[in-house]
Amino acid sequence: MAKPKFVYVTYINTTPEKLWEALTNPDFTQKYWIGVRQESEWKVGSTWRLVMPNGEVWDTGEVLEVDPPKHYTVSWRHEHFEDLRAVGFTRQSVDIEPSGEFLKLTITHEAPEGGEEFIEKVSSGWPGILSSLKTLLETGKALPGTDRLPD
Amino acid sequence: METSLYSDYKPNTVYVIYIVARPEKVWAALTEADFTEKYFFGRHVNSDWKIGSTWSMAKPDGALDVQGKVLESDPPRRLVLSWRVESMEELRHLPDTVVTYQIDSLGEVARLTMTESHSPTLDPKYLEGGRKGWPMILSGLKSLLETGHALPEFDRSG
Repeated sequence: MAKPKFVYVTYINTTPEKLWEALTNPDFTQKYWIGVRQESEWKVGSTWRLVMPNGEVWDTGEVLEVDPPKHYTVSWRHEHFEDLRAVGFTRQSVDIEPSGEFLKLTITHEAPEGGEEFIEKVSSGWPGILSSLKTLLETGKALPGTDRLPD
Repeated sequence: METSLYSDYKPNTVYVIYIVARPEKVWAALTEADFTEKYFFGRHVNSDWKIGSTWSMAKPDGALDVQGKVLESDPPRRLVLSWRVESMEELRHLPDTVVTYQIDSLGEVARLTMTESHSPTLDPKYLEGGRKGWPMILSGLKSLLETGHALPEFDRSG
């Protein structure tokens, strides 16, 4: 049986450097990622984590591959909810490629066997995060309400 | 009604995108040729979008590309279309695809969910075209409504 996997593609009118910055600078991620800071030094072997607006660390892992401004892969384990933590380390990649005047951004998130619920959760999360990222880069403002956790 | 023809269909491809727009604007972008020509590879849609009506999509040169029936229509929330590609001989003889557009209003933002459903007899190789195309098309629709400009290379015949 295939490992559970989610793939999302979107096209954004920006430069690879700006898109890379938007994904890897926590001051930027918190503007469109419901207030979440994605923190790492972005070197192979660096620790990686997602920090919630209240300072709690909900996801941890390490940088497995990094090639700015085109590609990174991190290992990703959820820490807050026990049933999702039990899935263990998932693998999440970003790929940025030119496509005419736009960029093609591909997000891939793969869980080990038994991680179907984890992938279901991220499948409902990524489209909103990436829609807001696209709006922020193209208009200067993120989607309303995506700079903080939902009420 | 005619949806019963497709009762064994499976939703094989789903794409969700959030757009800073009213649902009415998203509906217009999906159903008016002046919009679709700007983000749907230059194509023009045509229908009165009533249940049971035919709908069609023409290439920039006017040649028929896709046609089908309006299976469900609840503006500005839900539109379900049967979808047959007429412009390519290989695709013309496949079972119809069913495309569902669901538009949910979330305050200032609309969530558009596109679902492509197919006959269980369809060879999965035919899913690839839609999986490549929809992210481009709907990213362009979002840019068009939010910034006034779609993806520049997608306003031409693809």
